[in-house]
Amino acid sequence: MNVMAEGSLPFLNLSDPSFSIRSEAVRQARERNWCARTPYGLAVLRYEEVGKLLRDPRLRQGSYAWPAHNQATGSFAEWWLAMLLNRIGDDHARLRRLANPAFSPKLIGSLKPKFENLAHELIDGFAQRGRCDFMAEFSEPYATRVICILLGLDQSEWRALADISGEMGLALGVTYKQDMARVNAATDRLYDYARRVISERRTRPPGDDFVSLLLQANADKDALSDEELDNMVVLAVFGGIDTTRNQLGLAMSMFIENPGQWTLLAGQPELARQAVEEVMRTRPTTTWVTRETMEDIVFNGLEIKKGTTLHLFAESAGTDPQVFTPGFDISVKRMPHFGFGGGTHHCLGHFIARGDMTEALRILAERIRNPRYDGDVLWLPDSGNTGAVKLPIAFDPEGQGGGQ
Amino acid sequence: MKICVDLDKCKSHGQCVIAAPEIFSFAADNQLNWVEHPEETLRKAAEEAADVCPEQAITIEG
Repeated sequence: MNVMAEGSLPFLNLSDPSFSIRSEAVRQARERNWCARTPYGLAVLRYEEVGKLLRDPRLRQGSYAWPAHNQATGSFAEWWLAMLLNRIGDDHARLRRLANPAFSPKLIGSLKPKFENLAHELIDGFAQRGRCDFMAEFSEPYATRVICILLGLDQSEWRALADISGEMGLALGVTYKQDMARVNAATDRLYDYARRVISERRTRPPGDDFVSLLLQANADKDALSDEELDNMVVLAVFGGIDTTRNQLGLAMSMFIENPGQWTLLAGQPELARQAVEEVMRTRPTTTWVTRETMEDIVFNGLEIKKGTTLHLFAESAGTDPQVFTPGFDISVKRMPHFGFGGGTHHCLGHFIARGDMTEALRILAERIRNPRYDGDVLWLPDSGNTGAVKLPIAFDPEGQGGGQ
Repeated sequence: MKICVDLDKCKSHGQCVIAAPEIFSFAADNQLNWVEHPEETLRKAAEEAADVCPEQAITIEG
Protein backbone atom coordinates (compact mmCIF):
# COMPACT_ATOMS: atom_id res chain seq x y z
CA MET A 1 0.00 0.00 0.00
CA ASN A 2 1.22 3.48 -0.83
CA VAL A 3 1.54 5.40 2.37
CA MET A 4 0.78 9.08 2.10
CA ALA A 5 3.20 11.49 3.78
CA GLU A 6 1.38 13.57 6.38
CA GLY A 7 3.53 16.57 5.47
CA SER A 8 1.94 16.73 2.02
CA LEU A 9 -1.53 17.37 3.48
CA PRO A 10 -3.08 20.85 3.48
CA PHE A 11 -3.03 22.73 6.82
CA LEU A 12 -6.03 24.36 8.54
CA ASN A 13 -5.49 26.53 11.62
CA LEU A 14 -8.50 25.56 13.74
CA SER A 15 -7.06 27.46 16.73
CA ASP A 16 -7.35 30.82 14.98
CA PRO A 17 -10.48 32.54 16.37
CA SER A 18 -11.24 33.84 12.88
CA PHE A 19 -11.08 30.35 11.34
CA SER A 20 -14.31 29.57 9.49
CA ILE A 21 -15.59 26.12 8.69
CA ARG A 22 -17.16 27.65 5.57
CA SER A 23 -14.03 29.45 4.37
CA GLU A 24 -12.41 29.18 0.99
CA ALA A 25 -9.39 27.62 2.74
CA VAL A 26 -11.54 24.65 3.81
CA ARG A 27 -13.06 24.36 0.34
CA GLN A 28 -9.63 24.35 -1.28
CA ALA A 29 -8.27 21.84 1.23
CA ARG A 30 -11.25 19.56 0.52
CA GLU A 31 -10.57 19.90 -3.21
CA ARG A 32 -6.95 18.84 -2.67
CA ASN A 33 -7.39 16.02 -0.19
CA TRP A 34 -9.86 14.19 2.03
CA CYS A 35 -7.80 15.20 5.05
CA ALA A 36 -5.91 18.22 6.42
CA ARG A 37 -3.45 18.82 9.24
CA THR A 38 -4.50 21.09 12.14
CA PRO A 39 -2.82 22.27 15.38
CA TYR A 40 -4.65 19.37 17.13
CA GLY A 41 -4.56 16.30 14.91
CA LEU A 42 -6.29 15.92 11.56
CA ALA A 43 -9.42 17.35 9.94
CA VAL A 44 -11.49 15.02 7.75
CA LEU A 45 -13.22 16.96 5.00
CA ARG A 46 -15.15 14.67 2.64
CA TYR A 47 -18.45 12.83 2.94
CA GLU A 48 -17.29 9.27 2.37
CA GLU A 49 -14.37 9.44 4.79
CA VAL A 50 -16.33 11.26 7.52
CA GLY A 51 -19.06 8.61 7.26
CA LYS A 52 -16.57 5.75 7.59
CA LEU A 53 -14.54 7.24 10.41
CA LEU A 54 -17.61 8.21 12.48
CA ARG A 55 -18.26 4.53 13.09
CA ASP A 56 -14.79 3.04 12.77
CA PRO A 57 -14.34 0.69 15.76
CA ARG A 58 -10.64 1.56 16.01
CA LEU A 59 -11.57 5.10 17.08
CA ARG A 60 -13.15 6.39 20.25
CA GLN A 61 -15.16 9.54 20.87
CA GLY A 62 -12.52 12.27 21.16
CA SER A 63 -14.22 14.82 23.39
CA TYR A 64 -12.80 13.27 26.55
CA ALA A 65 -9.46 14.86 25.70
CA TRP A 66 -10.95 18.37 25.77
CA PRO A 67 -10.11 19.20 29.44
CA ALA A 68 -6.54 17.93 29.03
CA HIS A 69 -6.01 19.83 25.76
CA ASN A 70 -7.32 23.01 27.33
CA GLN A 71 -5.97 22.71 30.88
CA ALA A 72 -9.58 22.91 32.02
CA THR A 73 -10.35 22.13 35.66
CA GLY A 74 -13.37 22.41 37.95
CA SER A 75 -16.93 21.18 37.91
CA PHE A 76 -17.54 21.51 34.15
CA ALA A 77 -14.44 19.46 33.29
CA GLU A 78 -15.41 16.85 35.92
CA TRP A 79 -18.94 16.56 34.52
CA TRP A 80 -17.56 16.45 30.98
CA LEU A 81 -15.40 13.42 31.72
CA ALA A 82 -18.14 11.60 33.63
CA MET A 83 -21.07 12.06 31.25
CA LEU A 84 -22.46 9.73 28.60
CA LEU A 85 -20.64 11.20 25.59
CA ASN A 86 -17.25 10.44 27.11
CA ARG A 87 -17.98 6.98 28.47
CA ILE A 88 -17.01 3.98 26.38
CA GLY A 89 -17.73 0.26 26.10
CA ASP A 90 -20.11 -1.47 28.51
CA ASP A 91 -20.55 1.60 30.72
CA HIS A 92 -21.62 3.68 27.75
CA ALA A 93 -23.97 0.94 26.50
CA ARG A 94 -25.62 0.57 29.94
CA LEU A 95 -26.28 4.32 30.25
CA ARG A 96 -27.41 4.64 26.66
CA ARG A 97 -29.92 1.79 27.05
CA LEU A 98 -31.35 3.53 30.11
CA ALA A 99 -31.69 6.89 28.40
CA ASN A 100 -32.96 5.78 25.00
CA PRO A 101 -36.64 5.16 25.85
CA ALA A 102 -37.04 8.79 27.01
CA PHE A 103 -36.03 9.96 23.52
CA SER A 104 -37.97 7.41 21.48
CA PRO A 105 -39.50 8.38 18.12
CA LYS A 106 -42.78 6.99 19.50
CA LEU A 107 -43.02 10.05 21.77
CA ILE A 108 -43.13 12.52 18.90
CA GLY A 109 -46.84 11.99 18.21
CA SER A 110 -47.88 12.99 21.71
CA LEU A 111 -45.38 15.86 21.90
CA LYS A 112 -46.31 17.42 18.55
CA PRO A 113 -49.34 19.38 19.87
CA LYS A 114 -47.21 20.74 22.72
CA PHE A 115 -44.52 21.87 20.29
CA GLU A 116 -47.20 23.50 18.10
CA ASN A 117 -48.77 25.37 21.02
CA LEU A 118 -45.39 26.56 22.21
CA ALA A 119 -44.38 27.82 18.74
CA HIS A 120 -47.67 29.72 18.34
CA GLU A 121 -47.45 31.23 21.82
CA LEU A 122 -43.95 32.57 21.16
CA ILE A 123 -44.81 33.90 17.69
CA ASP A 124 -47.90 35.62 19.13
CA GLY A 125 -45.45 37.67 21.20
CA PHE A 126 -43.90 39.42 18.18
CA ALA A 127 -45.92 38.64 15.03
CA GLN A 128 -47.76 41.98 14.93
CA ARG A 129 -44.62 43.98 15.68
CA GLY A 130 -42.97 42.91 12.42
CA ARG A 131 -39.56 42.51 14.03
CA CYS A 132 -37.86 40.56 16.81
CA ASP A 133 -34.57 39.19 18.03
CA PHE A 134 -35.11 35.67 16.77
CA MET A 135 -32.69 34.16 19.29
CA ALA A 136 -34.04 35.89 22.42
CA GLU A 137 -37.71 35.76 21.46
CA PHE A 138 -38.02 32.45 19.65
CA SER A 139 -35.19 29.95 19.43
CA GLU A 140 -33.97 30.30 23.03
CA PRO A 141 -37.33 30.06 24.82
CA TYR A 142 -38.50 27.40 22.35
CA ALA A 143 -35.46 25.13 22.80
CA THR A 144 -35.46 25.60 26.56
CA ARG A 145 -39.15 25.03 27.09
CA VAL A 146 -39.04 21.88 24.94
CA ILE A 147 -36.46 20.53 27.39
CA CYS A 148 -38.73 21.54 30.28
CA ILE A 149 -41.55 19.56 28.66
CA LEU A 150 -39.34 16.48 28.18
CA LEU A 151 -37.96 16.55 31.70
CA GLY A 152 -41.23 17.45 33.35
CA LEU A 153 -39.83 20.77 34.60
CA ASP A 154 -41.77 23.92 35.35
CA GLN A 155 -41.69 25.94 32.10
CA SER A 156 -41.72 29.21 34.04
CA GLU A 157 -38.11 28.46 35.04
CA TRP A 158 -36.92 28.47 31.45
CA ARG A 159 -35.04 31.78 31.70
CA ALA A 160 -32.69 30.55 34.44
CA LEU A 161 -32.03 27.29 32.59
CA ALA A 162 -31.32 29.10 29.32
CA ASP A 163 -28.84 31.42 31.08
CA ILE A 164 -27.08 28.51 32.77
CA SER A 165 -26.87 26.59 29.52
CA GLY A 166 -25.51 29.61 27.67
CA GLU A 167 -22.81 30.17 30.28
CA MET A 168 -21.82 26.50 30.26
CA GLY A 169 -21.66 26.65 26.47
CA LEU A 170 -18.82 29.18 26.73
CA ALA A 171 -16.66 26.19 27.66
CA LEU A 172 -16.78 25.00 24.06
CA GLY A 173 -15.88 28.37 22.57
CA VAL A 174 -12.49 29.83 21.76
CA THR A 175 -12.53 32.21 24.76
CA TYR A 176 -12.92 29.37 27.27
CA LYS A 177 -9.87 30.26 29.35
CA GLN A 178 -11.14 33.66 30.42
CA ASP A 179 -14.65 32.23 30.86
CA MET A 180 -13.71 29.18 32.95
CA ALA A 181 -14.85 30.59 36.31
CA ARG A 182 -18.25 31.51 34.87
CA VAL A 183 -18.54 28.11 33.20
CA ASN A 184 -17.88 26.31 36.48
CA ALA A 185 -20.24 28.54 38.45
CA ALA A 186 -22.99 27.82 35.90
CA THR A 187 -22.27 24.08 36.11
CA ASP A 188 -22.61 24.21 39.90
CA ARG A 189 -25.93 26.01 39.55
CA LEU A 190 -27.21 23.39 37.14
CA TYR A 191 -26.19 20.56 39.49
CA ASP A 192 -28.04 22.30 42.34
CA TYR A 193 -31.08 22.63 40.11
CA ALA A 194 -30.87 18.99 38.93
CA ARG A 195 -30.59 17.67 42.50
CA ARG A 196 -33.55 19.79 43.61
CA VAL A 197 -35.67 18.44 40.74
CA ILE A 198 -34.59 14.86 41.47
CA SER A 199 -35.36 15.01 45.20
CA GLU A 200 -38.71 16.66 44.52
CA ARG A 201 -39.54 14.05 41.85
CA ARG A 202 -38.80 11.22 44.28
CA THR A 203 -41.75 12.38 46.39
CA ARG A 204 -44.39 11.98 43.68
CA PRO A 205 -45.64 9.10 41.53
CA PRO A 206 -43.46 8.52 38.44
CA GLY A 207 -44.55 10.21 35.22
CA ASP A 208 -43.39 9.43 31.70
CA ASP A 209 -40.73 12.15 31.67
CA PHE A 210 -36.97 11.63 31.46
CA VAL A 211 -36.30 12.27 35.16
CA SER A 212 -39.00 9.80 36.27
CA LEU A 213 -37.63 7.18 33.89
CA LEU A 214 -34.11 7.56 35.25
CA LEU A 215 -35.38 7.49 38.82
CA GLN A 216 -36.92 4.08 38.21
CA ALA A 217 -33.54 2.82 36.98
CA ASN A 218 -31.83 4.47 39.95
CA ALA A 219 -33.77 2.19 42.35
CA ASP A 220 -30.96 -0.26 41.53
CA LYS A 221 -27.77 1.73 42.16
CA ASP A 222 -25.74 -0.69 40.02
CA ALA A 223 -27.99 0.12 37.07
CA LEU A 224 -27.68 3.87 37.60
CA SER A 225 -25.82 5.44 40.50
CA ASP A 226 -26.92 8.70 42.16
CA GLU A 227 -23.98 10.50 40.62
CA GLU A 228 -24.77 9.13 37.14
CA LEU A 229 -28.37 10.24 37.58
CA ASP A 230 -27.27 13.82 38.34
CA ASN A 231 -24.83 13.79 35.41
CA MET A 232 -27.54 12.58 33.03
CA VAL A 233 -30.01 15.33 34.00
CA VAL A 234 -27.27 17.95 33.56
CA LEU A 235 -26.50 16.46 30.13
CA ALA A 236 -30.14 16.54 29.03
CA VAL A 237 -30.50 20.22 29.97
CA PHE A 238 -27.19 21.41 28.59
CA GLY A 239 -27.11 19.12 25.55
CA GLY A 240 -30.68 19.86 24.58
CA ILE A 241 -30.90 23.62 24.96
CA ASP A 242 -27.74 24.99 23.43
CA THR A 243 -27.78 22.81 20.33
CA THR A 244 -31.42 23.34 19.38
CA ARG A 245 -31.27 27.07 20.13
CA ASN A 246 -28.31 27.46 17.81
CA GLN A 247 -29.68 25.18 15.11
CA LEU A 248 -32.98 27.07 14.87
CA GLY A 249 -31.12 30.38 14.51
CA LEU A 250 -28.96 28.89 11.77
CA ALA A 251 -32.12 27.63 10.07
CA MET A 252 -33.62 31.13 10.07
CA SER A 253 -30.42 32.60 8.62
CA MET A 254 -30.36 29.97 5.85
CA PHE A 255 -33.93 30.81 4.89
CA ILE A 256 -33.29 34.58 5.04
CA GLU A 257 -30.45 33.98 2.59
CA ASN A 258 -32.64 31.70 0.44
CA PRO A 259 -36.02 33.51 0.49
CA GLY A 260 -37.52 31.39 -2.27
CA GLN A 261 -37.13 28.33 -0.03
CA TRP A 262 -39.06 30.03 2.79
CA THR A 263 -41.93 30.76 0.39
CA LEU A 264 -41.78 27.15 -0.77
CA LEU A 265 -42.00 25.90 2.83
CA ALA A 266 -44.93 28.21 3.60
CA GLY A 267 -46.76 26.80 0.56
CA GLN A 268 -45.80 23.18 1.23
CA PRO A 269 -45.65 22.75 5.02
CA GLU A 270 -45.15 18.99 4.57
CA LEU A 271 -41.57 19.85 3.53
CA ALA A 272 -40.75 21.01 7.07
CA ARG A 273 -39.22 17.68 8.09
CA GLN A 274 -36.95 17.68 5.05
CA ALA A 275 -36.16 21.37 5.65
CA VAL A 276 -34.66 20.43 9.02
CA GLU A 277 -32.40 17.91 7.27
CA GLU A 278 -31.37 20.39 4.58
CA VAL A 279 -30.49 23.05 7.17
CA MET A 280 -28.47 20.57 9.21
CA ARG A 281 -26.65 19.32 6.13
CA THR A 282 -25.59 22.78 4.98
CA ARG A 283 -25.38 24.72 8.27
CA PRO A 284 -25.02 22.38 11.26
CA THR A 285 -24.47 23.94 14.68
CA THR A 286 -22.09 21.10 15.45
CA THR A 287 -19.58 21.90 12.73
CA TRP A 288 -17.37 18.97 13.62
CA VAL A 289 -17.27 15.99 15.95
CA THR A 290 -14.05 14.45 17.18
CA ARG A 291 -12.66 10.94 17.32
CA GLU A 292 -9.35 9.62 18.62
CA THR A 293 -7.41 6.63 17.33
CA MET A 294 -7.06 3.87 19.94
CA GLU A 295 -4.27 2.18 17.96
CA ASP A 296 -1.96 2.99 15.02
CA ILE A 297 -4.14 2.74 11.94
CA VAL A 298 -3.81 3.07 8.17
CA PHE A 299 -6.83 4.73 6.57
CA ASN A 300 -7.03 5.64 2.87
CA GLY A 301 -3.30 5.09 2.63
CA LEU A 302 -2.54 7.48 5.50
CA GLU A 303 -0.73 6.22 8.58
CA ILE A 304 -2.39 7.70 11.66
CA LYS A 305 -0.68 7.24 15.01
CA LYS A 306 -2.46 6.04 18.14
CA GLY A 307 -3.85 8.97 20.14
CA THR A 308 -4.39 11.25 17.12
CA THR A 309 -7.46 13.51 17.28
CA LEU A 310 -9.60 13.49 14.14
CA HIS A 311 -11.99 16.39 13.57
CA LEU A 312 -14.78 15.07 11.36
CA PHE A 313 -16.16 18.13 9.55
CA ALA A 314 -19.94 17.78 9.30
CA GLU A 315 -20.52 20.92 7.22
CA SER A 316 -17.67 20.24 4.82
CA ALA A 317 -18.83 16.60 4.37
CA GLY A 318 -22.44 17.75 3.98
CA THR A 319 -21.55 20.06 1.11
CA ASP A 320 -19.01 17.75 -0.54
CA PRO A 321 -19.45 18.33 -4.30
CA GLN A 322 -18.58 14.68 -4.99
CA VAL A 323 -21.87 13.70 -3.32
CA PHE A 324 -24.19 16.73 -3.31
CA THR A 325 -25.30 19.09 -6.04
CA PRO A 326 -24.59 22.63 -4.83
CA GLY A 327 -27.26 24.79 -3.23
CA PHE A 328 -29.89 24.83 -0.52
CA ASP A 329 -33.09 23.14 -1.66
CA ILE A 330 -35.61 21.66 0.77
CA SER A 331 -37.51 19.90 -2.01
CA VAL A 332 -34.60 17.58 -2.86
CA LYS A 333 -34.15 14.27 -1.06
CA ARG A 334 -30.48 14.08 -0.05
CA MET A 335 -28.08 11.54 1.41
CA PRO A 336 -28.01 11.57 5.25
CA HIS A 337 -25.97 14.37 6.83
CA PHE A 338 -23.69 14.14 9.87
CA GLY A 339 -25.21 16.96 11.90
CA PHE A 340 -26.10 14.50 14.67
CA GLY A 341 -22.73 12.78 14.57
CA GLY A 342 -22.91 9.03 14.04
CA GLY A 343 -21.97 5.61 15.28
CA THR A 344 -22.12 4.59 18.93
CA HIS A 345 -22.36 8.20 20.11
CA HIS A 346 -25.00 9.29 17.57
CA CYS A 347 -27.00 12.12 19.17
CA LEU A 348 -29.36 10.72 21.78
CA GLY A 349 -31.98 13.45 21.36
CA HIS A 350 -32.16 13.53 17.56
CA PHE A 351 -35.74 12.23 17.17
CA ILE A 352 -36.97 14.92 19.55
CA ALA A 353 -34.78 17.62 18.00
CA ARG A 354 -36.01 16.69 14.52
CA GLY A 355 -39.59 16.68 15.76
CA ASP A 356 -39.48 20.00 17.58
CA MET A 357 -37.56 21.81 14.84
CA THR A 358 -39.97 20.46 12.20
CA GLU A 359 -42.94 21.96 14.04
CA ALA A 360 -41.07 25.23 14.66
CA LEU A 361 -40.09 25.72 11.02
CA ARG A 362 -43.52 24.72 9.72
CA ILE A 363 -45.33 27.24 11.93
CA LEU A 364 -42.75 29.99 11.49
CA ALA A 365 -42.99 29.73 7.70
CA GLU A 366 -46.78 29.85 7.95
CA ARG A 367 -46.83 33.03 10.06
CA ILE A 368 -43.58 34.93 9.48
CA ARG A 369 -43.62 36.25 5.93
CA ASN A 370 -40.68 37.77 4.10
CA PRO A 371 -38.12 37.55 6.93
CA ARG A 372 -34.90 39.55 6.51
CA TYR A 373 -31.96 40.70 8.62
CA ASP A 374 -32.76 43.82 10.66
CA GLY A 375 -29.37 45.13 11.77
CA ASP A 376 -26.16 43.32 12.63
CA VAL A 377 -26.24 39.64 13.51
CA LEU A 378 -23.85 38.68 16.31
CA TRP A 379 -22.33 35.29 15.51
CA LEU A 380 -20.33 32.80 17.52
CA PRO A 381 -17.07 31.80 15.77
CA ASP A 382 -17.82 29.69 12.72
CA SER A 383 -16.22 26.57 14.18
CA GLY A 384 -16.83 24.09 17.00
CA ASN A 385 -20.46 24.58 18.06
CA THR A 386 -21.66 27.63 16.19
CA GLY A 387 -24.74 29.82 15.89
CA ALA A 388 -26.06 33.34 16.34
CA VAL A 389 -26.01 35.15 19.68
CA LYS A 390 -28.29 37.93 18.43
CA LEU A 391 -30.35 37.60 15.27
CA PRO A 392 -32.50 40.71 14.73
CA ILE A 393 -35.03 40.10 11.97
CA ALA A 394 -37.85 42.08 10.35
CA PHE A 395 -40.82 40.61 8.50
CA ASP A 396 -44.32 41.49 7.31
CA PRO A 397 -46.40 42.27 10.42
CA GLU A 398 -49.24 39.84 10.93
CA GLY A 399 -52.82 41.03 10.50
CA GLN A 400 -52.07 44.33 8.74
CA GLY A 401 -53.62 44.05 5.29
CA GLY A 402 -52.10 41.82 2.70
CA GLY A 403 -50.82 39.59 5.52
CA GLN A 404 -52.53 36.59 7.01
CA MET B 1 -40.88 -12.98 14.94
CA LYS B 2 -38.64 -12.04 12.01
CA ILE B 3 -36.07 -9.23 12.07
CA CYS B 4 -35.67 -7.28 8.83
CA VAL B 5 -32.90 -4.74 8.28
CA ASP B 6 -32.95 -2.43 5.28
CA LEU B 7 -29.24 -2.39 4.50
CA ASP B 8 -29.68 0.54 2.10
CA LYS B 9 -30.78 2.60 5.09
CA CYS B 10 -28.38 1.05 7.63
CA LYS B 11 -25.41 3.33 8.36
CA SER B 12 -23.77 0.95 10.86
CA HIS B 13 -24.19 3.32 13.81
CA GLY B 14 -24.47 0.26 16.05
CA GLN B 15 -27.32 1.52 18.22
CA CYS B 16 -29.09 -1.83 17.71
CA VAL B 17 -25.99 -3.63 18.99
CA ILE B 18 -26.19 -1.54 22.15
CA ALA B 19 -29.95 -2.01 22.55
CA ALA B 20 -30.08 -5.75 21.77
CA PRO B 21 -26.63 -7.41 21.78
CA GLU B 22 -28.35 -10.82 21.91
CA ILE B 23 -29.68 -10.19 18.38
CA PHE B 24 -27.32 -7.73 16.66
CA SER B 25 -23.54 -7.74 16.34
CA PHE B 26 -20.82 -6.44 14.05
CA ALA B 27 -18.55 -8.80 12.14
CA ALA B 28 -14.84 -8.01 11.93
CA ASP B 29 -15.37 -6.02 8.71
CA ASN B 30 -17.98 -3.83 10.45
CA GLN B 31 -20.83 -5.62 8.62
CA LEU B 32 -24.01 -5.98 10.63
CA ASN B 33 -25.04 -9.52 11.62
CA TRP B 34 -28.37 -10.34 13.22
CA VAL B 35 -30.43 -13.31 14.34
CA GLU B 36 -33.23 -13.48 11.80
CA HIS B 37 -35.68 -15.39 14.01
CA PRO B 38 -34.87 -14.63 17.65
CA GLU B 39 -36.61 -16.26 20.59
CA GLU B 40 -39.91 -14.67 21.59
CA THR B 41 -38.34 -13.73 24.95
CA LEU B 42 -36.21 -11.20 23.04
CA ARG B 43 -39.17 -9.29 21.62
CA LYS B 44 -38.75 -6.29 23.92
CA ALA B 45 -35.05 -6.04 23.09
CA ALA B 46 -35.84 -6.33 19.36
CA GLU B 47 -38.45 -3.59 19.61
CA GLU B 48 -36.03 -1.32 21.44
CA ALA B 49 -33.41 -1.89 18.73
CA ALA B 50 -35.92 -0.99 16.01
CA ASP B 51 -37.05 2.02 17.99
CA VAL B 52 -33.60 3.40 18.61
CA CYS B 53 -32.12 2.95 15.11
CA PRO B 54 -31.26 6.50 13.94
CA GLU B 55 -32.03 5.57 10.33
CA GLN B 56 -35.15 3.56 11.25
CA ALA B 57 -33.80 0.68 9.17
CA ILE B 58 -35.12 -2.17 11.35
CA THR B 59 -38.59 -3.67 11.19
CA ILE B 60 -40.07 -6.65 13.00
CA GLU B 61 -42.49 -8.96 11.24
CA GLY B 62 -44.81 -11.25 13.12
